[in-house]
Amino acid sequence: MAEVASVHSKALDGTAIRQAISQLLVRYGIVLVLVVLVAGMTILSPLLRDGQQLFLTPRNLIQVTLQASINMILAVGMTFVITSGGIDLSIGSIVALCGVLSAMAMRDLDIGPWAGFALALLIGAACGFINGLLITQLRLPPFIVTLGTLGIFRGAALIISDGRSVYGFDRSFQEIFSARLPISADLELPVAVLIAAVIGTLAWVVLTKTRFGKYTVAIGGSEETTRLAGVPVQRYKLGIYTLCGLLAGVAGALLLARLRSGDPTFGTGFELNAIAATVMGGTSLSGGSGTILGTLVGSLIISVVQNAMNLFNVQSYWQQLIVGAVILFAVILDQWRRRQSR
Amino acid sequence: MTNPLLYIDHISKSFGAVRALQEITFGVNYAEIVALVGDNGAGKSTLVKIISGALTPDSGKLWLEGREMHFRRPADAIREGIETVYQHLALIEELDVADNIYLGREIVSGGLLGKLVGWLDRPRMRHLTKQAISQLHIKIPAPNRSVRRLSGGQRQAVAIGRAITWGHKLLILDEPTAALGVEETEQVLLTIEKLRDEQGLSMIVVSHNMQDVYRIADRVVVLRQGRHVATLNKCETTPQEIVAYITGAKSKVQLA
Ligand SMILES: Nc1ncnc2c1ncn2[C@@H]1O[C@H](COP(=O)(O)OP(=O)(O)OP(=O)(O)O)[C@@H](O)[C@H]1O
Ligand SMILES: [Mg+2]
Repeated sequence: MAEVASVHSKALDGTAIRQAISQLLVRYGIVLVLVVLVAGMTILSPLLRDGQQLFLTPRNLIQVTLQASINMILAVGMTFVITSGGIDLSIGSIVALCGVLSAMAMRDLDIGPWAGFALALLIGAACGFINGLLITQLRLPPFIVTLGTLGIFRGAALIISDGRSVYGFDRSFQEIFSARLPISADLELPVAVLIAAVIGTLAWVVLTKTRFGKYTVAIGGSEETTRLAGVPVQRYKLGIYTLCGLLAGVAGALLLARLRSGDPTFGTGFELNAIAATVMGGTSLSGGSGTILGTLVGSLIISVVQNAMNLFNVQSYWQQLIVGAVILFAVILDQWRRRQSR
Repeated sequence: MTNPLLYIDHISKSFGAVRALQEITFGVNYAEIVALVGDNGAGKSTLVKIISGALTPDSGKLWLEGREMHFRRPADAIREGIETVYQHLALIEELDVADNIYLGREIVSGGLLGKLVGWLDRPRMRHLTKQAISQLHIKIPAPNRSVRRLSGGQRQAVAIGRAITWGHKLLILDEPTAALGVEETEQVLLTIEKLRDEQGLSMIVVSHNMQDVYRIADRVVVLRQGRHVATLNKCETTPQEIVAYITGAKSKVQLA
């Protein structure tokens, strides 16, 4: 008995602990990256300005989440698409098209802020629907289709706006959709953060608890097997791309409210950040497994890194390089993590 | 003469220049196991997919209990009580056992909201999975186990369990024992025989294993390069004769 116990405790010392740690990393690796980043910034930021904490203040943290919010909303849509085994490269262009059209409608047709917001959502969903139609009806690869519509939607935004920013629409649009809701005396919650949180929660529920979410995973796992099981796969894929477009419409409206103008060049490259947040979060690029929580954490990581560089006054050229390196690092970590869990 | 359960009536299918099936005709009776054999590329899986609605034939007809069927998608065949375990495409690795068994047939929570958003009633599906499985010959792991973590035999058990749960007229099994060990093969064969003898289910079983075929089949249909070359009654043939037809050493004499 004693021998067994000692063997057992030895195993606990070595392999068991190592296993426990790698289990922890496997499951929460990306959360740990975020924790380490936040802790690191909390320690380092007082070195900047005579011991004053610049990073870990309510104001700055709200700023970080505000910066992350639009990417979060886009990345949630991207998570559904990537989980289903697809990709959507056109969301940045959808953001621009929705912003421009919604701004013009509010300025020229005087449709008011709520209709303006709804219009952005509608246009986003329509763009996603077009992507879905091309992918399901013509049986084209999503990468090719959305590469094409990336150009088409951006081009449409440029043509419609004549390449210029659209100003001078209803002020109340900004007042509503970039409002800050007071929580306490010196703390205000931006509407965009609230919306991102609500969308994140709903998306988590949909992906993990509903038939739509299950089919999203199943299609990404094996589209043919799902079809053979009697699931109307094409209809669900159409739904997934429409959802992604709809969320790009939400992001477009929020960006319009924050920047107070609709510009046809807005949103350039947003698809890459959304893909990065999604993949960093642990959603498999080959489809079949996705995590909304991971995606939200991934978006926060990108935002924390950007915030940190702003605090340290890192030149913007360097910022791009560093964000790219962080994304690469996180994905390498994720690959390693995946191999451990096999 | 009464109608057979399933009658395959001059079915042809080509993929471009490849004539995968040419004028295939045979019937499957009630409570009968028909083995479908033939070399690689003979057209077995193609025929299976046509019967299960995954492919539509270029010409020919399908009759089920005397009614002509026009399957346009797998859901159509499933609705008629035809269940299929496909070669290589049986399960979704990323889902758990119960989610696989209920794929395409989810139970949603009662109430308007549950129906509207398709809220899955997973506890109920897991419970029912457990119940259904306990009636089978084969051992299936816990309903919430991920399929990725199952052995080849366990996966096949889940796939067959799924087909049995839903198929009430005809089961089509495309190489059900191909990846299995001796004991697991035995379990699957026992289950197949039991389903025929106790529940009166009909089955089409594709297999390359002549011993298995000879043991479970009532009749053997041999395909060769897309053509139907023989239908043999088990009691009037030998494994050697079946092999002779598969390889072409013996050619078409009579078609039942
Ligand atoms: N989707 C497809 N597109 C083109 N050709 C196909 C397709 N499916 C099958 N074929 C061809 O049709 C023929 C019959 O294939 P099938 O898969 O039905 O054979 P099989 O009898 O099931 O063989 P195996 O024993 O290897 O499973 C083969 O020549 C194959 O290459
Ligand atoms: Mg085959």
